[in-house]
Amino acid sequence: MLDVIQFSSFSEFLHMGGYAFNVWSVYGLFAVFIMANLFLPLRKKQQILKEQKRRLLFSEAADDAQAPAGDK
Amino acid sequence: MWLWFAKLGSPKWFYELSSKWLPWLVGAMAILLSVGVIWGLLFLPPDYQQGYSSRILIVHVAVAGTSLAFFPLMAVAGTITLVWRMKLADMVAKNAAPLGAWFSFITLATGSIWGSVSWGTWWEWTDSRLVSMLFQFFLLLGVISLRSALEDSDKAAKACALLSIVGCINVVIIKYSVEWWNTLHQPSSPVSLSPDSPNGPEFWIATGIMILAVYLFLAVSLILATRNEILVRERQAQWVQDLVRQE
Amino acid sequence: MRPHRKKRLAIIAFIALSMSAAAGLTMFALSQNINMFYSPTQIANGEVANDLHFRIGGMVKAGSVEKSQDSLKVNFVTTDFVNDVPIQYEGILPDLFREGQGVVAEGALSAQGIFVATKVLAKHDENYMSPEVKAAMEAAGASPQNHSGLSEQ
Repeated sequence: MLDVIQFSSFSEFLHMGGYAFNVWSVYGLFAVFIMANLFLPLRKKQQILKEQKRRLLFSEAADDAQAPAGDK
Repeated sequence: MWLWFAKLGSPKWFYELSSKWLPWLVGAMAILLSVGVIWGLLFLPPDYQQGYSSRILIVHVAVAGTSLAFFPLMAVAGTITLVWRMKLADMVAKNAAPLGAWFSFITLATGSIWGSVSWGTWWEWTDSRLVSMLFQFFLLLGVISLRSALEDSDKAAKACALLSIVGCINVVIIKYSVEWWNTLHQPSSPVSLSPDSPNGPEFWIATGIMILAVYLFLAVSLILATRNEILVRERQAQWVQDLVRQE
Repeated sequence: MRPHRKKRLAIIAFIALSMSAAAGLTMFALSQNINMFYSPTQIANGEVANDLHFRIGGMVKAGSVEKSQDSLKVNFVTTDFVNDVPIQYEGILPDLFREGQGVVAEGALSAQGIFVATKVLAKHDENYMSPEVKAAMEAAGASPQNHSGLSEQ
């Protein structure tokens, strides 16, 4: 099963027995699919955290500004 | 058991548990994906008819098989939403739909690229396997647009849940289309350990590794998206605010 | 479970069941129209209405392929091992078009009973073999046709 690498040279590997376009485009598509659906959620998480931190700090600043006024 | 069920519905509990599990899931996924792709590109022997174009099929079969899990998953989550009103279930269902659309699209694209050389056609409208898979893609786009079309998020969740439950019928049709009707698409391959089986272990072990890898990828991607959803929907909760401050 | 939850679950189950029943009945009614192709036996039994244009599917009979020397014309016989239908085609054949392998042809029957195809597609079976395994199986007397889904239909 794992006894042989099917190719003897790198160009033969790229050529895929004449199915280079089909094989490589499928594996390329597969790579894009995997990467996109892992990195897009990760990037979105950073955006969400950034946005919420900004809001939180803003509302805290607003509270601080209001608090002394309320005490008086 | 009911306590466990109620706990699972708590977004906070899910967020903490998934934090612990994610590294393991990602690790296993990375290993299996690498093994599957390297095996597929370097070691998999050519098919006696198709030559190396059969290497497309281990990717196609893994993604296609996994894509059938989306409607059942969304239907289970939808039933939980409708009956028990569990917040987490709807968060999972909402994020499953776009991921499922990706899976269906990749299934169609990779199948088409294989068919163009093997069958001599990119697409056949008369093949029930091909058309039912395309229908799944459009159904998922339908679920996504239904949710964005309804402004009341509670109503949107219920409508999507119902559509997901009904959509499961199509999964059965996709699965059995190749047996019920004459199709250009081949039936699923039998897995057998007998030495005179036409599908030797060199083909189905590689395919099996790829299927496991793709299922793990589904889990990782869906968990990541669900965690984002939790951060947004639970942004008023004290634990989320604490978490945001720590970042 | 609380009663209102039981009721909701029952409603969902009812909707799911009735939709499945509706889908099942539709499929049953359409079952012939959903078939992509007819087998030579179905054609021999007259199951094909006097359609001008339809598809036929079967195996390419071993030794039946005659390719023209100076054009893309090709004649072959498709079979389901019960009945045969001769096919005439002019055009480029797909990679997997081989004798003893599945084929789907689109076209119409001529008055002489020859199917004149406008399109020929190769149908792959569900078996994948490395050339070594194939050679070993042939030596053992097994042929891939024995395993093929097409021959069972």
